[in-house]
Amino acid sequence: MTGRRKRQLANGVQVLLILIAIFVMLVPIIWIFMAAFKNHIDVFQLKLFFKPTLKNFPAVFESPYSLGHKLMNSTLVALVTVLLAIPIATMAAYSFSRFRLTGETTMLVTILATQFVPAVVIILPFFVMFRDLGLLDTRVGLILVNLSIVMPFAIWMIKGFIDGIPLDTEEAAMVDGSSRLQVIRNIVLPMAAPGLLTAGIFCFIIAWNEFLFALILTNKNAVTLPIGLALFKAEEGDLWNLLSAAGIIIMVPMFVLALIIRRYFVQGMTMGAVR
Amino acid sequence: MAEVVLRNLTKRWGDFVGVDNQSLEIRDREFLVLLGPSGCGKTTTMRMIAGLEEPTGGEIWIGDRQVNDDLPKDRDVAMVFQNYGLYPHMTVYDNIAYPLKVRGTPRSEIRHRVEAAATKVELAQFLDRKPRALSGGQRQRVALARAIVRTPKVFLMDEPLSNLDAKLRVTMRAELKHLSRELMITTIYVTHDQIEAMTLADRVAVMKSGIIQQLGTPDEIYNNPANLFVAGFIGSPPMNLITGSIRDGMFVTSGGIRLVPVDSADRQEVVLGVRPDDVRVSEEGQGDIDVRIYAFENTGEATLLTVQWGHQRVIARGDRHLRKDQDDCVSISLMADHLHLFDPQSGVRIAS
Repeated sequence: MTGRRKRQLANGVQVLLILIAIFVMLVPIIWIFMAAFKNHIDVFQLKLFFKPTLKNFPAVFESPYSLGHKLMNSTLVALVTVLLAIPIATMAAYSFSRFRLTGETTMLVTILATQFVPAVVIILPFFVMFRDLGLLDTRVGLILVNLSIVMPFAIWMIKGFIDGIPLDTEEAAMVDGSSRLQVIRNIVLPMAAPGLLTAGIFCFIIAWNEFLFALILTNKNAVTLPIGLALFKAEEGDLWNLLSAAGIIIMVPMFVLALIIRRYFVQGMTMGAVR
Repeated sequence: MAEVVLRNLTKRWGDFVGVDNQSLEIRDREFLVLLGPSGCGKTTTMRMIAGLEEPTGGEIWIGDRQVNDDLPKDRDVAMVFQNYGLYPHMTVYDNIAYPLKVRGTPRSEIRHRVEAAATKVELAQFLDRKPRALSGGQRQRVALARAIVRTPKVFLMDEPLSNLDAKLRVTMRAELKHLSRELMITTIYVTHDQIEAMTLADRVAVMKSGIIQQLGTPDEIYNNPANLFVAGFIGSPPMNLITGSIRDGMFVTSGGIRLVPVDSADRQEVVLGVRPDDVRVSEEGQGDIDVRIYAFENTGEATLLTVQWGHQRVIARGDRHLRKDQDDCVSISLMADHLHLFDPQSGVRIAS
């Protein structure tokens, strides 16, 4: 009986700790969700019950904030980054995974090592370079920067997935009459699809949330959502209700993607070989 | 349909020699088994024929065409892999159809041929399933069907039965044999299992360290092993190998026991080989040599007697109704016309 009590107590403590952890993590998000539906005057009161309003959402799309333009910028930059990064990374990953290349390990480590350099350190050279090339405050410029950030991760992630495809399967396809490109199209891509999707979403999230480069390299035309948040400062102080509404607009796509990634991530892990 | 010819085929990785300057002719419609322990170069040889591995030297001919520089897809071979190499994202139908599809066969013909191949390996009711939903034996059948769906010049099979459990292996072995007799296509089959080699092959090439030790029919390999390696590798339990010398036409063990007359000139050192089946067991005093039983094993279909004889142990296969116990005494006789003599240094068989 006492053993059972002890177990129940241990379970209770466990649940309690988990609840506390969840609470700590969720509080900021809950706060933002509530603030997004509050009037400016209600924001600083920690009232759980208030008269909700929807007017914050249209407000952020109006002048002077015009979030729509920034939403468009963010979407285009992140989407094009992913659409370029995944095919290139897949080809690179396939080569790293299947061919014996000279200096393979060195190259792989170097690719990842580019991400060891703190962004702040290299942002000035980037600024100067982009100024000379006329890429400052352009979406193309941001896409290039984002590519340099996501490519190493994408290559490493996709290589992991391709490594998991048994060589037998590819060799069988070659003997069955496929060229190398047919093997990639008919066998490798379908089998690695969950991995490609996962990597794609991962890259999208990085590009979507990228802040530092966008802050320095854009000022008007190519400003993205995270930078746009900084606009909600007015003479009457920070406009937390508008800021929160914009915050939700930034977060919602992430939540949706997180749900998708969760489903495919597990599938990608368990797909593997038929033995 | 074609013959396969290997000329001075060599594969090296740095200092490691996988296949060492081997030549081999596989006849049209022949079922040839490459047999050997792991790492003997048998799989490497097959992969070079398939085009999955590039030879360091030598020539590979399939039919009247040298295929050294051909891609696997252009060699017109079909291969069955040890791990089946199925396409997990395709149904059984699509797996079997793939070699046809990728070669641009018309759709109606694909359906017809896939169904014929699936029927031949008894898979017709599983065509809509994914490989994941099949048992090991069924997956192996899919791999087989994928190989036979078109008529290649050569079948290559890389240990196709080794992932199956023992019982299924026996069934599949018979099915393979039946299928190969029916199709009559040149087949090269790699295995380390001597029973598969004995039962399936028209001819067996026994390999060790990248070198073919003996090439011959299963009968020749079993009854006239070319050297000590082949003698010890084929047969279960393996051939008894007894060291000794030949004096005055008699084999004398290194312990000094005069044993049996042999048809050979006198020699200082010699190895006598005798299969357990060729050691006759009789009651004490009734045979040539009285020995003590070291271990008695009953396998059901026969009995195995390991007897201590001087400082050597000899295995004899006895009648399945024989019942003896450890430390009992029996008498053994070696059947004089089934003895093999080998040179202990070179391992080569001594012609008698």
